[in-house]
Amino acid sequence: MGGTASNLPKELLSEYQELTFLTKQEINEAHKKFCQLQARENGPNERVSMQNILTLPELKSNPFRERVCHVFSTSDRKDGSLSFEDFLDLLSAFSDSATLEIKSHYAFRIFDFDDDGTLDSEDLKKLVNCLTGETDDARLTLEEMRQLIGNILEESDIDKDGTVNLSEFQHVISRSPDFVSSFKIVL
Amino acid sequence: MRRMSVFPSGTSLGNLGLTANVLQQEDENNTSELVSELANLSDRARIQAIRSLPMSYDERRRIRSRAISVKTSKNIFNIDCSQQVSRSFRRFGASVASARQWLVVWHGTLKEIGGRFGTSVLSYFLFLKWLLKFNVFSLIINFCFITIPQIVHAPNISNVTGFRGLELLTGVGYFNQTVLFYGGYNGEVIVSKPPYNMQLAYFFTIAAYLVLCGVSLIYSMSRSFQKNFVLESGPVSGGAWRLLCSWDFSVVNEKAIQNNKNNLGTQLKESLSERLQMKHTMSMSERMKYLSLHVLAWLLSLGLAVGSCAGIYFLGIDQLTSSLNHNPNDLTAEASTLLLPVVVSLINLIVPLLYSLISIMERYSNPRAKIYISITRNVVLKMSILGILCYYWLNSVPENMVCWESFVGQSVYRLLIIDFIFCLFGTFFGEFLRNVIGTTCAPSLGVPEFDIARNVLDLIYAQTLAWIGIYFSPLLPVMQVIKLLIIFYMKKVSLSMNCQPPKHTGRAAQMQTVFIALLFFPSFVGALSMVAYTVWSLKPSKYCGPFQGLQTPFHTILSWTVYIQNLPGTYWVWWIFENVLRNELFYYLVTLIILVITYFLWQITQGRKELIRTLRQQIVNEGKDKAFLLNQLQNTQKQRRQMASFRYQEFDQTLHFNPNWINTLPLDM
Repeated sequence: MGGTASNLPKELLSEYQELTFLTKQEINEAHKKFCQLQARENGPNERVSMQNILTLPELKSNPFRERVCHVFSTSDRKDGSLSFEDFLDLLSAFSDSATLEIKSHYAFRIFDFDDDGTLDSEDLKKLVNCLTGETDDARLTLEEMRQLIGNILEESDIDKDGTVNLSEFQHVISRSPDFVSSFKIVL
Repeated sequence: MRRMSVFPSGTSLGNLGLTANVLQQEDENNTSELVSELANLSDRARIQAIRSLPMSYDERRRIRSRAISVKTSKNIFNIDCSQQVSRSFRRFGASVASARQWLVVWHGTLKEIGGRFGTSVLSYFLFLKWLLKFNVFSLIINFCFITIPQIVHAPNISNVTGFRGLELLTGVGYFNQTVLFYGGYNGEVIVSKPPYNMQLAYFFTIAAYLVLCGVSLIYSMSRSFQKNFVLESGPVSGGAWRLLCSWDFSVVNEKAIQNNKNNLGTQLKESLSERLQMKHTMSMSERMKYLSLHVLAWLLSLGLAVGSCAGIYFLGIDQLTSSLNHNPNDLTAEASTLLLPVVVSLINLIVPLLYSLISIMERYSNPRAKIYISITRNVVLKMSILGILCYYWLNSVPENMVCWESFVGQSVYRLLIIDFIFCLFGTFFGEFLRNVIGTTCAPSLGVPEFDIARNVLDLIYAQTLAWIGIYFSPLLPVMQVIKLLIIFYMKKVSLSMNCQPPKHTGRAAQMQTVFIALLFFPSFVGALSMVAYTVWSLKPSKYCGPFQGLQTPFHTILSWTVYIQNLPGTYWVWWIFENVLRNELFYYLVTLIILVITYFLWQITQGRKELIRTLRQQIVNEGKDKAFLLNQLQNTQKQRRQMASFRYQEFDQTLHFNPNWINTLPLDM
C-alpha cells in the first residue's frame, strides 16, 4: 500500500466486512484515513506508529489513548503500532453494532493498566486518576480514593478476592445501560 | 458459545508444572472445539459469532477459514442453490444497510454535537428526530389518502375572504374552508372505478395512523425499559462503577473532555459524601420539618396548576361568547383570538420557573428524586392545561358553534404557532441573554447548562397538541414538521454558542426511558382518548365536514358494516365485528387472561431473583474454597521444598510463585 488512497479491492472489502462490525462505507473511510496516516511515516511501512495514530482527532484527547493503541496492537515489538487490520479491529470494537461482550472485553483490557488479566486496586487507582480532572478541587484525596476503591470492590468483587476479573467486570457492565452508548468512537 | 479465555501472553504459570507444551496443547484443543462449533452453525449465525470473538483480526481470519474448510469437507453434497440464495440475501441486506447510512439525515451534525456535549444532550436531538419521523409519516398518509382525493374532487369553497397576513397566525379567514381544516372536507363518495368513500377514508386513515403510533411507542418503550431499568436492580446501586463506565468516548473536543473529567471528579466526591451521609440518621423533629416542607411545596405546585387551569377555562368561555358576536371581517377581534394561546404559553413559561424556585426550599435524599419530582410537577401542569382545553373544546364549543371542529382545529393551530414563537423567544432569552449575563455582568452565574428535561417536555407538549389536532386538521403535521426542523437548527446553533454540557451526566439512559414513557402515557393516550371520545360520542356539525348529518362519526362504520353484511362472501367480517368486537364479554375475557399471565410472569421473576441471590452466595463460597486450596498447595509445596533442599542442598531451586495465579483463570472454568 503506497501513500495514495487507492480503493480497496472488492474481495478484501467483503472479507473485512464479514469479519468486523463495520459497514463498507466505514471501512472505506477508515482506509482513507489510514493511508493519510501512513503518508506521515518515515519510510514505507505497513504499520503506523503510535505517535501518528494519536494525531487522529478522535483519539488525540482521549484519556486512554495509549492504552487503546497497546491493546489493539499486534506488533511484536509491543510499541503500540497498528496495522490496517488492527485499526479496523479498533473501529469495529468501538462501533455502533459491536456486541456488549466485545465492548466489555476490550474495555477490561484497556482498564487493565498492568496487563495481568485482573483489575486490582492499583489498576483502579490509575483508572480513577485518568478520568478525574487535574484541578485541585476535582482530584480525589488519598482517603477519598481509598474509600472509592473500597466501594468499587464491594460492588463488583463477587468472589471477594480483592480484584475484579473479566467475568465480574462484564457482570457489572451488563448492569450499566449507559456503557454501550458511551463506548463509541465514530470516524 | 464457549468463551475464549483472556490470557494476555505475559502471564506466568510456570511452577504449576504446566510447561509451554501443555499450554499450547490446551490452546489447540480450545481452537478445534471452537471451529467445530462454528462449523455447525448456519452461515449468518457463524458470521455473527466470528465477529463477536475477542481476538485479533488475523486469528479471526484463520478461524474463519478453518471453519469454512471443516464445513465444506463435511457437506460435500451441498445444496448449492439454497446457499447461493442465502448468500445473495445477505449481500442484499448488507447493501441495504449501507444505503440506509446515506439516508441518515444530519449524521455529521449529530456526531459533532455528540462530540462536544456528550450522549445525554445528543439524546435530545435524537428524540427530536424521532418525533420528526412520526410527523412526516402522518403528513404523507394524510396527504395521499385524504387531501389529494378532496382536492382532485374540487369542492366548492364558499365565502372566501382575501388572504391577509394574519391568517398565518390565527388560521381563520382564508384558511377557513381549505383542506387545512376539518371543514374543508366533505364526506361524499367519489364516483370512480372503485368508489372511494371519503368518510371511511378519513376515519380509517386517522385511526390507522394513531394505532401505528401507539404500537411503535409501546415497542420502543418496552425495549428501552428492558434495557435500562430491569437490569439496574440489584447491588449495583451506589454507582461508582456506573459513573466510571459511562465515560463518554465519543467526546472529542479537548475542552469538553477536561470539563467531563472535572465533572466526574465532582460527582465521585458527591457520591462518596452521600454514602457517608446516608448513615447519618435524622432526628424526628428534622424529619417532620422536611416532610411538612414537602407537603407545602406540593400544595403550592398543585395550587398553581389548578389556578392556571381555572384561568384558562374562564378566559376560553369569555372568548367563545365574544367570538360569537363579532363580524368576521373585524381584524382586531380576530387578533384577540390569539389571547388564549399567548396566555397558555406564558403560563407554560413562567410556572416551571416558579416550580424550580419552590424546589429550592426542599431537601431531597438524592438528586435523582429531585429531577423526577420536578419532571412530575411539570408534566402535571402541562397535561392539566391540555386537559382543561380539551374539556373546553369538547363540552362548551360544540353547543355554541356551527362548524366547531374547524374551530377546534384552528385553536390547536394557534396554540402550536404561538408555542413555537415563545420557544424562539425562550431560546433567545433563556440561553443567549443568560450566557451574556453569565459571562459579562455576573460571572458567578457561569455559562448556562443545556436543560434537557425542560426542552424534552416542551417537545412532548407540542407533539401532544399535534396528535390532538390531527383529527380536526389533517394537514397540521406540515406545521409541526416545519417547526421541528427550525427548532433543530436553532437549538444546535444556540447550543454551540451559548451552553455548556450538563454537569450531572449519569443516568442518561434511564431518562431516555422516562421520556419515551411520558410520550406514551399522558401524551399519546390522552390525545387518543380525546379523539376516541369525539369519534364515539360527539355529534358532528351538521353543515360542514365529512361526517355531516350522522349521529356520531362512528356511525359511518356501522352503516358500512350493514352494507357489507349484504354483500355475498363477506358475512364473516360483519359477524366478527358485531359479535366479537362490539361484545363486552370478549374484552373481559382478554383482560382476565392477561392478568393471569402477568401474575405467572411475576412469580417467575421472584423465583429468578431468589436464584440469583443463592448463586452469588455460591460464588462467594467457591472463592473461599479456592483460597483454602491455594493455602494448602502453598503449604504442601513449602514442605516439599524443605524436604528437597534438605536432600539436595547444592541445587538452588528458587521458585517464583505468583500468589495471584488463581485469579488469572476465567471464572467459568
